[in-house]
Amino acid sequence: MKNFAYVRTSSVSEAVQQASSQPNAMFIAGGTNLVDRMKAFLDQPTQLIDITRLDMTRIESSRDGMRIGALVSNTAVADHPEIRRNYPMVSRAILLGASQQIRNVATVGGNLLQRTRCPYYYDTAFACNKRQPGSGCAALTGINRMHALFGASDQCIAVHPSDMCVPLAALDAIVEVEGSQGKRQIPFTEFHRLPENTPQRDSNLEPGELITAIVLPSLPFAQSSVYLKLRDRASYAFALVSVAAAIEVASDRKIQAARLAMGGVAHKPWRLTTAEQFLIGKPAQAETFQQAAEIAMQAAQPLSDNRFKVGLGQRAIRRALTIAANGGGVA
Amino acid sequence: MSKIVGTAVSRKDGLAKVTGQATYAAEHQLPGLVYGYVVTATIANGQIQAIDTEAAEQSPGVIAVFTHNNVPKIFKPSNDFRKSKIYEARLPLSDAQVHYAGQIIGLVVANTFEQARDAAQRVKVDYTVQAPTIAAKDAVFKPAPSMFGEDMTFQTGKFTSGDFSAAMAGAAATMTATYHTSTELHAPMEPHATIAHWQGTDTLTIYEPTQWVMGTQRTYAELFGLPSEKVRVVSPFLGGGFGSKAFPWPHGILAAAAARQLQRPVKLVLSRRQMTANTGHRSETEQTVRLAAMADGTLTAISHTAKSCTSPVESFPEPCTGITPVMYTTPNLYTSQELAVMNVGTPTFMRAPGENPGMWALESAMDELAWQLKLDPVALRLKNQTEKHQRKGLPFSAKHFSDCLQVGAERFGWQNRSITPRSLTQEGKLVGWGMAAATFPAMRGVASVKVRLLPDGTAHILTSGNDMGTGAYTMVAVTAAETLGIPVEQVRVEMGDSQLPDGGLAGGSQMTASLAPAVIQACREVLKSVNCTTATAACAALQQSGRAAIEATATTAPGAEMKQWAFQSWGAHFCEVTVDEEIGRLRVTRWVAVMDVGQVINAKTAASQVRGGVIMGIGQALMEECHFDPNTGYPVVYDLATYHFPAHADIPRIEVIFVGEPDLNFNPAGARGVGEIGITGVSAAVANAVYHATGKRFRHLPLTPDKLMAS
Repeated sequence: MKNFAYVRTSSVSEAVQQASSQPNAMFIAGGTNLVDRMKAFLDQPTQLIDITRLDMTRIESSRDGMRIGALVSNTAVADHPEIRRNYPMVSRAILLGASQQIRNVATVGGNLLQRTRCPYYYDTAFACNKRQPGSGCAALTGINRMHALFGASDQCIAVHPSDMCVPLAALDAIVEVEGSQGKRQIPFTEFHRLPENTPQRDSNLEPGELITAIVLPSLPFAQSSVYLKLRDRASYAFALVSVAAAIEVASDRKIQAARLAMGGVAHKPWRLTTAEQFLIGKPAQAETFQQAAEIAMQAAQPLSDNRFKVGLGQRAIRRALTIAANGGGVA
Repeated sequence: MSKIVGTAVSRKDGLAKVTGQATYAAEHQLPGLVYGYVVTATIANGQIQAIDTEAAEQSPGVIAVFTHNNVPKIFKPSNDFRKSKIYEARLPLSDAQVHYAGQIIGLVVANTFEQARDAAQRVKVDYTVQAPTIAAKDAVFKPAPSMFGEDMTFQTGKFTSGDFSAAMAGAAATMTATYHTSTELHAPMEPHATIAHWQGTDTLTIYEPTQWVMGTQRTYAELFGLPSEKVRVVSPFLGGGFGSKAFPWPHGILAAAAARQLQRPVKLVLSRRQMTANTGHRSETEQTVRLAAMADGTLTAISHTAKSCTSPVESFPEPCTGITPVMYTTPNLYTSQELAVMNVGTPTFMRAPGENPGMWALESAMDELAWQLKLDPVALRLKNQTEKHQRKGLPFSAKHFSDCLQVGAERFGWQNRSITPRSLTQEGKLVGWGMAAATFPAMRGVASVKVRLLPDGTAHILTSGNDMGTGAYTMVAVTAAETLGIPVEQVRVEMGDSQLPDGGLAGGSQMTASLAPAVIQACREVLKSVNCTTATAACAALQQSGRAAIEATATTAPGAEMKQWAFQSWGAHFCEVTVDEEIGRLRVTRWVAVMDVGQVINAKTAASQVRGGVIMGIGQALMEECHFDPNTGYPVVYDLATYHFPAHADIPRIEVIFVGEPDLNFNPAGARGVGEIGITGVSAAVANAVYHATGKRFRHLPLTPDKLMAS
């Protein structure tokens, strides 16, 4: 049996030092995904470093935005009055994910680092390059209804499961990390990776680096932002597709600025920059949104079972933009 | 004493369940307990060429590893469904053959669960692989074999009367359509688990959730060459069975075999993942219904043919056509069923086996015919209902199907329905109303119950018959309280132990119909034995006599009435859905279910059972689907997050109304039981409502967003 050591740390620097001294150490906070993976033999750390006592539990606001400590629970973020007011798509995305019980325990930092729920990854009976590099990808010729439309490779077609990360990508959030080499900031859209030939790596965190906070930059028009999630049941299901949308509409109904990202379609939260650029200067009306949706999905490369997600994705974008243009609300 | 039967009584076992006092099979603590973990095949068709257990055997804490090379002796049971029954005719580890992915090919026993699970990963297997049959389109279908023996409901699914083809040819209106259901999993909350505890090599105690305590006792006795009385089965609580916990599965048999050899109690709990292949499912079905009718809607011919799939190690046809001769009268009737063998786990009884998919097809077809003829679907059903069971040739007893339809229509406001598809909208969504009939046969078995009246005025009711979680404890208490004339609180019920009198099977929705008559009779005999008419008088007599208790055991059984009548329960579902067509989002927003089940013993748990059935039916309609990997044949779902059934947010308020009268031809309690009827017709009602909302007919379940999004 793969036994592991458990240590509890009391400071970020101690945690980082501990991690860099043990090649197979992993940080644990809420553990809502890691513990499941350990039970399924997907992760076999030699040491678990408990970071739950670290001082990363505050939500701070300033003129430039908000800084959310990595250990803040998903529930606390979703319920925070300023986040609900200024970034409703963030609150909404969190509330449409997991269950209340999981959200109470799961942390913001952990949300970024949860891994795909591709069933082929979860069962060691199947080939999976993410689990065992070089073993193949059983999902390629398997049941891939839930899998990627964008940025996949012949090594991996899995999607990132997070809802929260989709609006964070749209917001150009910043991930603050600390490692043995010091602190650095990673733009959100550069935090997660595409699978390419290394699907075993989900993010650009270096070994031993710890997420300490997420910064949400100020973005006034995000006050009418929308998160739309389409799934196979009304609650407790991962997205078939999801859309985070925010647009700024001037008094002449022309679009001044737009943010658009999708979930459930790629190995990372998928920012739709071409569609965003298209929207700018166009009238906020149905044809514009339809054209933006078509542009957004143009590069989609559907698999055997997920062709419907191209059309569904277009409709989701259209719908989310329409609601955002009308002042936001529940989608 | 006020009448108790028919009132709403809270569960006798409710407090124990919500406070964790109810001990489920895997929770029993025994000294010296060791843990089993199964090794499963990663191919769907082939042979084990070599199986290397050395690394597993040398893992920390491992006590033994069993494979087909060293499996302890297990005897083939008679497996005739009466004396004994195992879910898979093939005994576990009986040879090197692999019939489906996930098949149990080994068992590791260790000091802890974690050690056993870890060691199981270290077993290395080399296979010779043959191409498996995974998809129904590649399978070879043959006429379905006989299933339950001759005098039970489903024989081969084949029935003919009149001349179907001639009637079709001359009909004013005809309708032909093919309907599909997907593979569905039972997915009970309580995972399948067995603790096997031997006292020596000839006395066995089994802690296992089972819907059939005495059948399981006899089956384990046969499997290990013992007389039945040497096996005790303990199963006081089930966390959901739905047909998947009636007989031993391979894991339970292996746990008992290992425990005997090791002379240690062995606990074996399957993971959710393992349950997907090793504890049954409902086969996908393809059904074609053809209807012929006169212009006024009078049916002149019905044909219903069905295909389903089974595993190589058990023959289980999903008996879809059993309901067809029951629902609507016609002089020309044709049903038949086909079955194909695929390399998938063994399908079995699940949530109204046959009736549920059968009613999905038939009730969808009736709706299609109603639209075609521009008739009210309620009126079409009223016009064509049958007063006799057309295959048995017997009249129905106490049938109130019309009341179900009429009361439901009135309660729902059906008369206000718009008769044009796509005509109702609400906040930008399409709204549709749909209805469908429900039915389930009333079954009843032999049952024995012991009643002990104590001097303190309490009555103890004892039977092996058990409570699947549906309310049998309370039903027994209510029935006894009523007969004895004492409050329900003064009745104590013990169930689910083979040391108690044989209470029969909790399956086919028959536990109430079997047990209630035995409870009534045993209570009456207790009173009669001291020449009293009330329990109060009997207690006074008892106190005077100085005896510890008055006891009586009664056994009741169905009799000649079964040759005079057909017994069947009836119902009607009415529902409203909204469809956000652009994004393929379907929500069920309103539900009225009206049921005729004879006497309702406990209004509260009976309504809960119907609600549970409706919820499961909504699951089947909207989301339940187990995909098999097209290459390996392994289910591509592995837990309750990947196998979707409804969350609370998917379910509206469900109004349940009971109509009808006590069916005293059936048994002295007048109760036909509730159980499975609630699920029948539900998916058809949903799809019929979706047609009304969208003008599109969906014939392939489940109705997921990809199917619903308008093209």
